[in-house]
Amino acid sequence: MEWYFLISLALLPFVFGPDPAPGLRRTRAESRNLICERVTPQTAAQRYPGEIAPARPRGDYVERSVVVCNERVMRPGLRKAQDEAILSSLQELTSGLVATAHAMRPDLADKTWLVETHLTSGPVAAKVAFAVKNDLVLRGLAVSDRTPILGFGDVDVITRLEPEQAYAMACKRYFATGSLGPDHALLAIANLDPRETILHAGICADGRWEWVR
Amino acid sequence: MKALLLTLFAALALGLAAPAWGTTAIEQAQLAELDRLRAEVAGQVQLSAYDLIDELVYGWVTEPVFAAPTPVVVVGVTVPVGLGTGLQALVENHLAAVLAENPTSNIQLAHCPACTAVVVHAGPEGTIVSRGMDDPAVLESIGADTGRHALFIDVEAEGAWLVLRARITRLTPDLPIVWSHTIASSSSTPPLLRQPNDLKSAAEARQEYIDALHDRGSLAIPVRFVVRSYKAPADRGGVPPPPFLWLQSGVELGANDSLAWTSSILVGYSFIPQAYQGLMGQARISRLLTGRTRSLLRPDIYAFVGAAAISVWGPATGSFRDQKLNADEIIRDSAGEGPRTTFGALQLGLDLRLGNRIGLSTFLEAVPVLRNSRNLGSYIQVGSIGFQTWGTEVTVCF
Repeated sequence: MEWYFLISLALLPFVFGPDPAPGLRRTRAESRNLICERVTPQTAAQRYPGEIAPARPRGDYVERSVVVCNERVMRPGLRKAQDEAILSSLQELTSGLVATAHAMRPDLADKTWLVETHLTSGPVAAKVAFAVKNDLVLRGLAVSDRTPILGFGDVDVITRLEPEQAYAMACKRYFATGSLGPDHALLAIANLDPRETILHAGICADGRWEWVR
Repeated sequence: MKALLLTLFAALALGLAAPAWGTTAIEQAQLAELDRLRAEVAGQVQLSAYDLIDELVYGWVTEPVFAAPTPVVVVGVTVPVGLGTGLQALVENHLAAVLAENPTSNIQLAHCPACTAVVVHAGPEGTIVSRGMDDPAVLESIGADTGRHALFIDVEAEGAWLVLRARITRLTPDLPIVWSHTIASSSSTPPLLRQPNDLKSAAEARQEYIDALHDRGSLAIPVRFVVRSYKAPADRGGVPPPPFLWLQSGVELGANDSLAWTSSILVGYSFIPQAYQGLMGQARISRLLTGRTRSLLRPDIYAFVGAAAISVWGPATGSFRDQKLNADEIIRDSAGEGPRTTFGALQLGLDLRLGNRIGLSTFLEAVPVLRNSRNLGSYIQVGSIGFQTWGTEVTVCF
């Protein structure tokens, strides 16, 4: 009896330990649901006052760091894997695309930007467009909520082409029909393969199409 | 023949339109479980989404987008993909409620059916089916008094973050975006639950939290009511002491603001007329098991070890003597003041704390000098140490 009691006492720290690794207190699924980052004690003390002691004025006797783990808001399996892959890093993806587009075409800084998204999922496409527009505004660019429009005949032809030709053709038609004027630049975001989880982007300005990524 | 074909086609279309009819019981159970989980996540996300809306409106109050009150149409409120429209309605209603309480934001909600409705516009360039706000022809027809700006709000779950994006678009044919903003909140950040009529910034709320931690203080005065029960001997040969009731008070001190480690020193008094009286002193060290800091909101559990010195006297304390009692001794004790016994004890237990006020605890106590007493048994025996006492406590801290 006493041996069981002593062994239980020895195991107590592992049962109630704060380690994010799976164990008696946390299943593997729960551990996978965590997103962890390592931060300095100063950052951790600022973020979690009262929980993490700040470094002493003359330094700590040992080198300390803090691992901060947060649960995912949406549990795995509640959304399609492709949607989850895009949405879980939406800000990162869109910021990267906008930064690249802005760096590639600094000459378009004085134009009004329009945004168009072509993704497998309609709701995800709307989210991506929203995030891209906000990022463009954040960079000080003029952005419009207007959507360029093509006639039925144009759409009928363009949808029969390969993506590489289709986007270039659509760009020409936008410019030719006046839907996209000389003062406008279009940033189009697309999935070229319905299975991929990365986003491609291209710029349409003055009737010329250019892939950003 | 044609009518028959049409009927068959209609039946086929109806069947395809209702795929749920063809699902098995297992698939239906899986779908029901998914719906339940989505509802659970929506419930968890709701307060955080409200928090982000509060932060958004607070930003408009401190730095208004418009110099004067301006009608704005809420054209779109979207919630994380996978969560239902119920959450969308809740978020939209909360936005309206907070804006109504904060007129200094200069955002006046306006109704614009032509902006949000799907309209069909036929012109020389073709026929366009779109929302009103996407159709320049519709925008030109909107009067200035019905709202010339549109507000879009999107809330999305991005990993461990809940992100709110908002933008305001001027409803002219060019639809320029005049303002946009992005706010994020971590899943581990508790919602601030701000009052709509007394919005605060996140920095102010954080300072209030720190002040609450400091005001809580690391020193408390506990008043504790304790019941000690003594285990009867296994051979039923002796007479165990009766349950002892104690009233204790003293000081409890935390090592720092987190109150992860606390220690306490208490003195106690026990008195039952015609039975016993007692005095005691006790010291404990407690360690928080549930997290790194004592929560202001949820219960916490501490494990503690301690030591006590107890002195009891009175007719009912004869069982603390180290020999087996007989009936003559009990009668003799009850005639006079009775015996007096002083002993030391070691404690081990768990303490449930509710906020900083109430505690419920249970402990086992070993009395080494009475380990061979014939009047006491052991609840648990660890090596040569027997825990003869089981105690329960209710604590109120001031």
